[in-house]
Amino acid sequence: MDESLDTWFKREILVHEASLVRYLLRTWPNREEVYDLRQDAYVRVYEAAAKSRPQSPKSFLFATARNLMADHTRRRRIVVIDAVGDLDALNVLVDELSPESRTSAFEDLRRLADAFDQLPPKCRETVWMRRVDDLPQREVATRLGISQKTVEKHVMKGMKLLAAALFRSEGSGRAETTEHEKQRKEQSRGSP
Amino acid sequence: MEAHRQMEDQAAAFLARRDGDDWTEANQVELEQWLAGSIARRVAFLRLEAAWDEARRLKALSAGLPSGVVPPAGEWRHSPFFDPESAASPRVEAVAPAVSTHSSSAKGNVRDATRVRPLAFAATVLLALGVGAYFISTPRGDRYSTPIGGIASVPLSDGSNITLNTATQVRVELTPHERDIRLDAGEAFFEVAHDPARPFVVQVGNTRIIAVGTKFSVRREGDDVRVVVTEGKVRVESQSRRGGGLGVTSKSEGDADAMPDATRDGPPGAVFLTPGSVASASDDGIVIENEALAEVEDDLTWRQGYFTFHDTSLADAVAEFNRYNKHQIVIEDPAVAAIRISGTFRALNYEAFVRVLDDGFAIHSRSSEDTTTLRK
Repeated sequence: MDESLDTWFKREILVHEASLVRYLLRTWPNREEVYDLRQDAYVRVYEAAAKSRPQSPKSFLFATARNLMADHTRRRRIVVIDAVGDLDALNVLVDELSPESRTSAFEDLRRLADAFDQLPPKCRETVWMRRVDDLPQREVATRLGISQKTVEKHVMKGMKLLAAALFRSEGSGRAETTEHEKQRKEQSRGSP
Repeated sequence: MEAHRQMEDQAAAFLARRDGDDWTEANQVELEQWLAGSIARRVAFLRLEAAWDEARRLKALSAGLPSGVVPPAGEWRHSPFFDPESAASPRVEAVAPAVSTHSSSAKGNVRDATRVRPLAFAATVLLALGVGAYFISTPRGDRYSTPIGGIASVPLSDGSNITLNTATQVRVELTPHERDIRLDAGEAFFEVAHDPARPFVVQVGNTRIIAVGTKFSVRREGDDVRVVVTEGKVRVESQSRRGGGLGVTSKSEGDADAMPDATRDGPPGAVFLTPGSVASASDDGIVIENEALAEVEDDLTWRQGYFTFHDTSLADAVAEFNRYNKHQIVIEDPAVAAIRISGTFRALNYEAFVRVLDDGFAIHSRSSEDTTTLRK
């Protein structure tokens, strides 16, 4: 297992999941396919990075997502007007969301706290005992009066829900980019 | 296209089992074989692993809670942030009532706006203090002090209460005519029991702060004094070494038509402060600013063991951490010093702070036993 590639992938690629999903949702007409597009983009980026790490990981991720959508569009012989329009705006989008302009790391912590609070009660307790108190699963099972197998299920569910919530696109960034989007479209309409 | 979701479930199952107590060598082999099956499996796995690792950060918010107790949703964020394990928190009691951590505006850090000299100074001077808060009674009053990182609540016999912040030295002398307090170093929050017959006077270098019944904090950095009032009214007098003619400047950040809360009155060089007033006194005079009370209270969250930054430069934020910790953070890169951050941090948990910088801003840190250096 290439440890450093995995670490690189988490640090440079996965952290952009919220922006990536936001971009995919805005660009791709079918919401249900966004999850798969995201994973496919990850696969492509990971494969490419195994050969050589891209200089600018975020731009590379977004370019990969764009190419992926273009491929799908061609393959299905459908023309998605909005998608084409948005693809051109990609560079603007990436510049706009440089890592430095991310809100604050405290935002991340708050997002984590909120995600944690949304977990179902038993799952939430399990996550706390495992991650904060470092109690072994066996001990968590005893304290909650459930089987170890059930603790394992809560852990599974916990990490999936946390991943979904942590990397979810939400917050002020969305309103800003949407607003930006509108302006851009108006401009392009004005100048043929 | 169901495949990705199936892979996520499988990855979660592996991770949950690995998280358990019975993970064997054989399981590890099984996992590695599974991962080797496709890149899609690997990225699904990495993504969940990252989220699960991230959940560890909840620890940063668990202060003061006994092990095995899961805080109810939402509530835990308001819990006091005392670190019970820290040797440096001597007489930790439920200090002042919880203050609001929400700011009504984001105009910038109150301290940022008024602080004239760099804070690093205070930290270096006070490093000399040992560990363990102490109390000495002498004929000329009682002395209280806290080490770096300490917070102590000191109830006085008149019913007043003093909360000492990190690296603070206070002398207290209660006489029938006056309650005489000297802040020799550091920062303290005073809750003054009402007693018109005995004014409560805090002497800080050349500055005197006089209260009857009120709540206010005083912070000393060398000869500079900063007074923040949260309740009631206090008078601040400053005796310039140059003698007389002390300038009082008032700048209000609020509505232009609002009357300034602080007014000149009494002897020259004296001002009255009301809630929301922040006065900075130095040999050059007193500067008064009026802030939203919520902002002012954000400035006093140290009483709960944490501080709140609003669009504060990293240089200033680091200086705050250095005030509270023997372990010093050094910024090597001016570009890093200029980064602005917002958020609430536990004062003693500089490690979490450094980690957050690393994760959120890609700032690289190098730590030795007593220093951490930061660079891009």
